[in-house]
Amino acid sequence: MSTPSTTVLPDGGLKSPGAGLITLDPVRTALLHGLDELLTGLAARLSAPEVVGPPLLSVEGLARLDFFRNFPHLGVSAGRFAPDALDGLAAGESPGELPLRPTGYLLPSATCYGLLLSLEGRDVGEGGLRLSAAGRCFRNETHYDGLRRLWGFHMREVLYLGTKQGSLEHLEQGAEFVRELAGRLGLELNRAVADDPFYDKGGSRARLMALDPVKHEFSAPDGTAIASVNRHRNFFGERLDIRAGSEGPAYSACVAFGVERWVHAMILAHGTPEQALDRLRDTR
Amino acid sequence: MDPIAAWLHEKNPGLDGPIAADEDLIEARLIDSMDFLEFIDLLEELSGSSIDLQEVTIDDFRTIGRVQERFLSAAT
Repeated sequence: MSTPSTTVLPDGGLKSPGAGLITLDPVRTALLHGLDELLTGLAARLSAPEVVGPPLLSVEGLARLDFFRNFPHLGVSAGRFAPDALDGLAAGESPGELPLRPTGYLLPSATCYGLLLSLEGRDVGEGGLRLSAAGRCFRNETHYDGLRRLWGFHMREVLYLGTKQGSLEHLEQGAEFVRELAGRLGLELNRAVADDPFYDKGGSRARLMALDPVKHEFSAPDGTAIASVNRHRNFFGERLDIRAGSEGPAYSACVAFGVERWVHAMILAHGTPEQALDRLRDTR
Repeated sequence: MDPIAAWLHEKNPGLDGPIAADEDLIEARLIDSMDFLEFIDLLEELSGSSIDLQEVTIDDFRTIGRVQERFLSAAT
């Protein structure tokens, strides 16, 4: 008598709970974790300690960073059922029909926001500070598309705060790392100016960004951006009173990776998830 | 005070002393990105002609010296 298998998925695989939501199967999960491990190589190279950011961000903090002026459509809110709805819920009423009350918190849309807000009022010194973190990020989108565009996804970032020159060097080192890693993984990437999803595309910030791009993306051949390098000038330093010693408000920059998109790019480049995983294992 | 310097000081009340003609207004964010179009409006008002953003580069706005030369030299 053979032992019943507990490792093979049932026919039909794992169900999606809804648009933009995916349960990763074991092979894609192995790809996600293996790729994330390689992506932490940037933090190791730059001696950026790993931290865990907060799971929710205050709307008050985000408002100070102009998040709602730039991206009012993206924010996924943490709501709470109103107290007078609880009896109905407990009696079996449909939750979808009952009112939610705002909590004053949003799920993160990017990993660096939580880190930046945690540094408010601090002095990172002229030598600067680097932090590395990964977290699940959430964005409302008008459409979802497999691993390319999810409602929630993993974003790994290496953040730098310090001098203007230091922030430029951080991005150069980040871009070099992306090129090297892509080469090792057999990924062909194109670097281009990013088209950030500003709500007001004709607004002041979007117009200045068109003249002076502060964000560049690395994209797979099908156009999926899997990594980006972003410079913030001294915006966060000023808004959050983060100083770099005698240099004044800190300049900041970050290198960001959308980890599910790296999984997508690997499958795109190598044919199947299994072949992509083989290639990943050969790389490590 | 020169109207451009006056505008920059109004937007940056914490600024001490004069702004050098070669100071990088963009990188130091003395022209904040949210105020960029207002700055364009100011230049159009001072020069009396419109600015087509397709025909300029960021360096045209980078310093007071360059702004004077690029947009205001004909008017002064």
